[in-house]
Amino acid sequence: MTEFPDAKIYLVDDDVGVREALAWLLRTRRLISDGFDSAEDFLAGAAVARQEPDVPCCVLLDVRMTGMSGLALFEKLRLLPWQAAMPIIFLSGHADVATAVAAVKRGAFDFCEKPFSDNALVDRVEQALRQSAAQLAERAVQRELQQRLDSLTERERDVMNLVVAGLPNKLVADQLQISVRTVEVHRSRVFDKMGVKSAVELANRLRGL
Amino acid sequence: MSRALKPPRWPLWGALLLLVGALLAVLIFLAAEYEVGRDQAALDQDATTVVGEIRSALLRNVQTLQSLNAFSPTPASWDAPAAELLAQRRELVRLEWRDPSMAVLAQRLSAYRPDVFDLLPRGQALPEVRQACDAAQRLSGPAYSASYFWPKRDGRGLEVMELCLPLSEAGEPRGFLIATYSLPAMLAELTDPVTLRGRGLSFVESDGARLAVHSVVPVQRRTLSAHALLDLPGHTLLLQLESPRRALGLFPNVLTGVVGALSLALLAVLYLLARDMRRRQRAEQRAADALAFRKAMEDSLVTGLRARDMTGRITYVNPAFCQMVGLTAEQLVGSGMPAPWWPPELVDEYQQRQAVRLAGQILAREGYESVFQRSDGTRFPVLIIEAPLIDAQGVQSGYMSAIIDLTEQRRIEELNRASQDKLQATARLATVGEMASLISHELNQPLAAIASYASGTLNLLHQGDGRGDGKGDDDDGVSDDIERAIRRIGEQAERAGRVIRGVADFVRRRDQVREAVEPHLLIEGISTLLTLQAKKRGIRLQVDIAPGTPRVWCDRTMVEQVLLNLARNGMQAMPLGDPGTASGLRVLRIAMAPVMGEAGEPGAGRCARWVRMDVTDHGQGLPPEVAERLFTPFFTTKAEGMGLGLSLCRTVVEQHGGALDFEPAQPRGTRFSFTLPVAEVPAGRPLDAQAALL
Repeated sequence: MTEFPDAKIYLVDDDVGVREALAWLLRTRRLISDGFDSAEDFLAGAAVARQEPDVPCCVLLDVRMTGMSGLALFEKLRLLPWQAAMPIIFLSGHADVATAVAAVKRGAFDFCEKPFSDNALVDRVEQALRQSAAQLAERAVQRELQQRLDSLTERERDVMNLVVAGLPNKLVADQLQISVRTVEVHRSRVFDKMGVKSAVELANRLRGL
Repeated sequence: MSRALKPPRWPLWGALLLLVGALLAVLIFLAAEYEVGRDQAALDQDATTVVGEIRSALLRNVQTLQSLNAFSPTPASWDAPAAELLAQRRELVRLEWRDPSMAVLAQRLSAYRPDVFDLLPRGQALPEVRQACDAAQRLSGPAYSASYFWPKRDGRGLEVMELCLPLSEAGEPRGFLIATYSLPAMLAELTDPVTLRGRGLSFVESDGARLAVHSVVPVQRRTLSAHALLDLPGHTLLLQLESPRRALGLFPNVLTGVVGALSLALLAVLYLLARDMRRRQRAEQRAADALAFRKAMEDSLVTGLRARDMTGRITYVNPAFCQMVGLTAEQLVGSGMPAPWWPPELVDEYQQRQAVRLAGQILAREGYESVFQRSDGTRFPVLIIEAPLIDAQGVQSGYMSAIIDLTEQRRIEELNRASQDKLQATARLATVGEMASLISHELNQPLAAIASYASGTLNLLHQGDGRGDGKGDDDDGVSDDIERAIRRIGEQAERAGRVIRGVADFVRRRDQVREAVEPHLLIEGISTLLTLQAKKRGIRLQVDIAPGTPRVWCDRTMVEQVLLNLARNGMQAMPLGDPGTASGLRVLRIAMAPVMGEAGEPGAGRCARWVRMDVTDHGQGLPPEVAERLFTPFFTTKAEGMGLGLSLCRTVVEQHGGALDFEPAQPRGTRFSFTLPVAEVPAGRPLDAQAALL
């Protein structure tokens, strides 16, 4: 039924009624959520605050809470390297447009005012999860590419750089002072290891890095 | 100043003194000259007298000698009377009777000078004798020879002179009687010694050589001398009478003295007069200065001054008063009642007041307020302070009034009141805004839950639709109704949310004006109110603004509200007597200082991005249970409080991107601190602060 059977949604709101209602609403859309009643609680209890998530995730954050405010928590989370894979949606009962704009400008995924209309919030949550999934996939691709790159030998890396720069094998051989034959061997091994079939494909993959 | 303009007086005085001195000197000199001249004249007179005496004595001698020969016709009988005569007349040295051929018939030498002819014989003197006798014959009477020096044996000599007296008997010449005169003896014998006392008498030649001296004046003295001719038949002698010049006093006579004294007295009087004049001039100058000073004082006064006599007529007004009512002094002085500055509609009231005053009632020292009218018809409020005008005789001659124009004062009061009102209105508005915000939040929470449940329920119903398609048609109507109802629930919750948002937006519509504000201006705006409250509670207000505290980027009105709220809370935490006045802790301290960048932030330690403001009280401090709920809306410890103050403060500070915090103060009390962004970040505009707030 749902796109994200294993997605994780973090609810941070000091009002237990709101938290439970939201959790229930999300569950009707087959989304699983975790509730935290304060920013401190979230930092202490949520795995995503310490390590990169392995499933799509999203944080629903109330702006004003007792103790650390939502904005302060956001400032902390913003600095995490996997922040892009963890979209944050602000919730506020104070329809404070200025705060909302500032938050979005600084990287929040969205800003929703309470009370939420129908399933608009859940739709935004799903969009956020989609972004999270895309980010995670991208990060996975990057990671894989990095692994492939790491598996290259030094000489293979040299050959690859020159090939990607568009040099024909003969010139590569000249530049590296090795035989054209050797270049060809290295080149096919690079294509093998990087999982590509042509120099153009290789260049495209590397450009994404 | 006027003294400097006057030429110096001392040359004038010097010239005057010199003139008087010269006059005195001339006077004294002339007086002395006059004295000398008088002495000289007296001396001349005396000389003439002496000559007269000598001449008459000589004449008597001639007669005596003539009678000698007349009664002694023979030389024998002649000797005795001649000797007697010689004894009587000491000036005579010798008598001779000679015949016409000059032979000596008889002769007699003075017993007083027996030695005269010892050195030289008498014959040596014959030429002088002949000279005299020739002259006598020529004159047919007694004649004298020229005087001549007759030396004597003792080395000295004698100036002598011959008198030849021709003798005749019955017309026949019988010879000559020759008498030899000693000139010194003549001077001694023939003159009055009284006249000569202290004087020098001598016969002199025309060149001044002395022939015979009777007496001399001591040589060291200056002398006066008079000459008189002793004109004798046949010879002329020059008599010199000398007199020591009288020592003259400074004032040779009383007159000079008196004149001198008078002129000195005159000089002194002149000096005293001049001094008196000068003193008077100075006094006049001082009086004029004082007058000018008073005039300047009256002219410079912004307080109007007005004097009235007992009938209420104006006797004096100063320029300030003229300016106040817009009339000239000429128009005002002499005007009676109703006064030209009385507003027409108040004339009756003022007349009454005037009547009360004239009845002699004492007016309040602090004055009374009134309304005046300018010449152009505008009214203005004044404060009038009156005092009775009492003249030198102690009689009240009128009233002196000081009039202060209250227009400006009223304007400032009005302005103050307006600014206070504005501050309070802002406070009310801010409180209402905060309340609306809080209520909206509190209501939005349950509404959000309701909306969520409604949406969730609808989701479940739709899922049910999808799964149980063939469950039975009679269920459909019911589930449709339920779905509609639940949709309505969601819609109504949303509507409630919109209403709340509308209210919140309305209250909050006030534009948030951000501007760069000097920290001290934030205090100044509320200082009047704070000072008033502090005074009421006996609290000292201490404001410390660290040097170099930059301007802050904020909504001035709202930040003023924050400071006002915190300060008021702080003062309320210090009721009278706790802490006691003696402890020195009845101080509310407001401090402002830049916050140096924290480690890890960009630009740390170099320039401040935040300004921290502290409000510290020394009250009892916050109990833990209060501290825990401090920012909870509608939580309050005050009977009349709404519990919104701190909540509002936090909202405002957070809207500025800052943070509000509190901690216990030392030695007691609580310190509330908040931060505001700095207006000028060297990199350019306050980037982060603006971004966070936009």
